[in-house]
Amino acid sequence: MNILYGMLFIIALGSVYVLGYYFNHKTPKPKGCENMTAACEGCHVTSCDNNPQNEYKEKENV
Amino acid sequence: MMELFALALSAVLINNVVLSKFLGLCPFLGVSKSSKNAIGMGLAVIFVIFGASLITYALYHLVLVPAEIEYMQLITFILVIATFVQFIEMFIKKYSPALYKSLGIYLPLITTNCVVLYVAQDNITQNYDLIETIVNSIAVPAGFMLVLYLFSCLRERLDSADTPKAWKGNPIALVVAALMALAFSAFAGIV
Repeated sequence: MNILYGMLFIIALGSVYVLGYYFNHKTPKPKGCENMTAACEGCHVTSCDNNPQNEYKEKENV
Repeated sequence: MMELFALALSAVLINNVVLSKFLGLCPFLGVSKSSKNAIGMGLAVIFVIFGASLITYALYHLVLVPAEIEYMQLITFILVIATFVQFIEMFIKKYSPALYKSLGIYLPLITTNCVVLYVAQDNITQNYDLIETIVNSIAVPAGFMLVLYLFSCLRERLDSADTPKAWKGNPIALVVAALMALAFSAFAGIV
């Protein structure tokens, strides 16, 4: 029964995350903040939005 | 009261999360090129760690323990932190453009900052009560911000220093970080 509770709890949390991610990306950035980038030259964390590698990927997709 | 003060002092200076535990090194090296960025990142980290720690503390004691699923705490905390950052970013985008302008770009970096998860886990493993959790959740990121700001000031001065070509950039920054860690280790006996 505990495993079932655990699974349900994680599914619920995951759903909240998906909703948050969806609404966050749907919310437009304020004026003047469209092209903001952090002063970061990049590390090995390629999942981070500020990593310069992601900029290249976005350009390629366009 | 003295215990809380000792806890805060220990978290900021003695057991500094960057220089003593070597956590959060990605933003420590990535966002320390200017002191302005360091302050922005530091404030965002304090805000996120404080909020995420309170939520994870409440979830652990009100949901995980009663349901006897404490073994799920790691994945729960990761999801809570990621979700919290998404909602905070959305809220700031919508209601406070000025705050988004100063902190917004650091929020995605914080999701991958292991200090957030460390504080959430530490509050549980050390069996802190609510007051101790609040103090720890402010003191640890305050220590992170202090070190990040000091390091950024040093790096700004290093840019104009006459360093050999092979030492420019990250090599000399890492040497400076090591010297800072040595200097902070001198605080070990004060509490």
